[in-house]
Amino acid sequence: MKTLLELRDVTFSYGTEGIFQQAGFTVKPGERIAVIGRNGSGKTTLLRLAAGLLTTRQGRVLLDGYAVNEMSRRSIAQVIAFVPQQLFVPFDFTVDQLVSQGRTPYLRALRNLSTADYAAINEAMSRTQITHLRHRIFNQLSGGEQQRVKIAIALAQQPRLLLLDEPTQHLDIGRQAEILELLLKLNLEGVTIVAAIHDLYAVQQTFPAVALLHDRTIAQGTASELLRPELLAPAFGLNGRALPILRRADHFATEEAHIEPVR
Amino acid sequence: MTQSAQVEVQETREREAAAEPRQPATRSLWAVVFILCLLLVGEIFAATCIGAVTIKPGTVASVFVNRHAEGLEMEKTIVFQIRLPRVLAAALVGCGLSIAGVLFQGLFRNPMADPYVIGSSGGAALGATLGIVFLPHFSLLGFGATASLAFCFSLLTMIVVYWLARVGGRTPIVTLLLVGLALSAILAYSTTFVVLLHPDSYVAVHLLTIWLHGAISNTQWSQVAVASVMVGLGTVLSFPLGRSLNALCLGDDYAQQLGIRVEFLRAAIILVGSLLTAAAVSLGGLIGFVGLIIPHIVRLFVGPDHSRLLPIAGLAGAIFLILADTLARTVLSPSELPVGILTAFIGGPVFLFLLRRGKREYAL
Repeated sequence: MKTLLELRDVTFSYGTEGIFQQAGFTVKPGERIAVIGRNGSGKTTLLRLAAGLLTTRQGRVLLDGYAVNEMSRRSIAQVIAFVPQQLFVPFDFTVDQLVSQGRTPYLRALRNLSTADYAAINEAMSRTQITHLRHRIFNQLSGGEQQRVKIAIALAQQPRLLLLDEPTQHLDIGRQAEILELLLKLNLEGVTIVAAIHDLYAVQQTFPAVALLHDRTIAQGTASELLRPELLAPAFGLNGRALPILRRADHFATEEAHIEPVR
Repeated sequence: MTQSAQVEVQETREREAAAEPRQPATRSLWAVVFILCLLLVGEIFAATCIGAVTIKPGTVASVFVNRHAEGLEMEKTIVFQIRLPRVLAAALVGCGLSIAGVLFQGLFRNPMADPYVIGSSGGAALGATLGIVFLPHFSLLGFGATASLAFCFSLLTMIVVYWLARVGGRTPIVTLLLVGLALSAILAYSTTFVVLLHPDSYVAVHLLTIWLHGAISNTQWSQVAVASVMVGLGTVLSFPLGRSLNALCLGDDYAQQLGIRVEFLRAAIILVGSLLTAAAVSLGGLIGFVGLIIPHIVRLFVGPDHSRLLPIAGLAGAIFLILADTLARTVLSPSELPVGILTAFIGGPVFLFLLRRGKREYAL
């Protein structure tokens, strides 16, 4: 299968603090990949590199085989949508106005939105089930609703690749399940998904493929290949003593793997 | 279903889709702009009638219609040489400051940013004063040293403010206000210093009153012409930035991932905002808070969408400042108040209210 996105021998650092050393990462169309690793291991950096928001020190980031840093910002934005961890909105924008901004990569500065734009906006809102919130003010929504609006902005971009930075963070377990279910649904509808997720239990449940960040490299494989105590313990600095937590997660996963998300 | 019926259904659907809620909103934007334009023209006319000497509207109208008619020499002089340039100057100042306010608020993602509060006006005032004191006869393409230096210094100040006030991609209110406060103080005292270097002490005192308190007094037509070119250019250039400003409000990462060239956009905002501030300051000196009150009030009515906010704030600013300036020159008639006093009386409390509310909503 063709490769959608590839990081080839990427070296990146913030100042003297090395994040990646000749790391490689491949995304094929239709994949659903969870990015895991301890705090500071470079999950956000990986996503930002992939979205072309950071420039590599060495190595290349290829989108459809073309170097991302040679593409215009607009053309990247029509293929990749990135959902950052936080969205701080200083003014009282409504949900409608925010989701409409997902059309920015397709619009000329002074041109009005076309019928196709409205269609994309409405579809993004209905897929994320926020149509009923469209006239509400974003800052007054709950955490779970805000997260869905952020994903709707990204969907209005009609991307082939959706990158999400910890989409389930700060959400209660029910809202987490909603978001994960939404990602699963979007993926089945054809959107390739790469998401940084902290909750390994959620990863095991929802993501067939995993990228484990450890020691400035990226290990890719299936969930069952990588979600093993002997790999996770060093990656998360667990030193063996906390291993029962992992075993319990393992146990949960096998016993209750078919639990339905509560709505 | 026959083919033609299908086509008809298809067409009906398309028409319905085309009549989505936003279309009427665009129409209503034009309606609001049109109404505000009418209001502005009416206000300009009314403000020309009012003053130390009241001129009957009929007389003003007949003077407007036929400038070269015999008689009414005094009325003609008052209307064309004194009032009209001043009223138009007030409109330009209000429009320029309001649009600059909207631009800077979008740039800093902060509703407290105003050309006066963040020091941009202070920079322009220092530049203009330097021009008046040291290069009174310099002229480049019709733009005197006053306007050119006002622009350069306002631009320079904005670059410094931007560089000092941003912390990790955000502009916390406290940093922005403190940087603005410090720079404004430095610039104001520098302006005073420069003014004192002026050989003619009477002119110096007069300059100080203008620049540091904000007053639109005897405006020449040449000044109005220069400022209208600057404000016109700035306003026209600001409109294409509207949509990008919306994206920039979501933060750098969001704007970039939506396809915006953030650095380019920021440079454009600073350039256009400085141009507008410089035009306003070269006419009226340091008139505070207009760029804060007007965008805030307009936002309450039309929401935060910048492509609607920019034109409406421009018109509302013009209307507001003509009103304020007309009050300033009539309240204590025949003597005058600097209009800056009035805008401070109205704008200061609005600023404090926003700051108070900011503790809750705009923290960070």
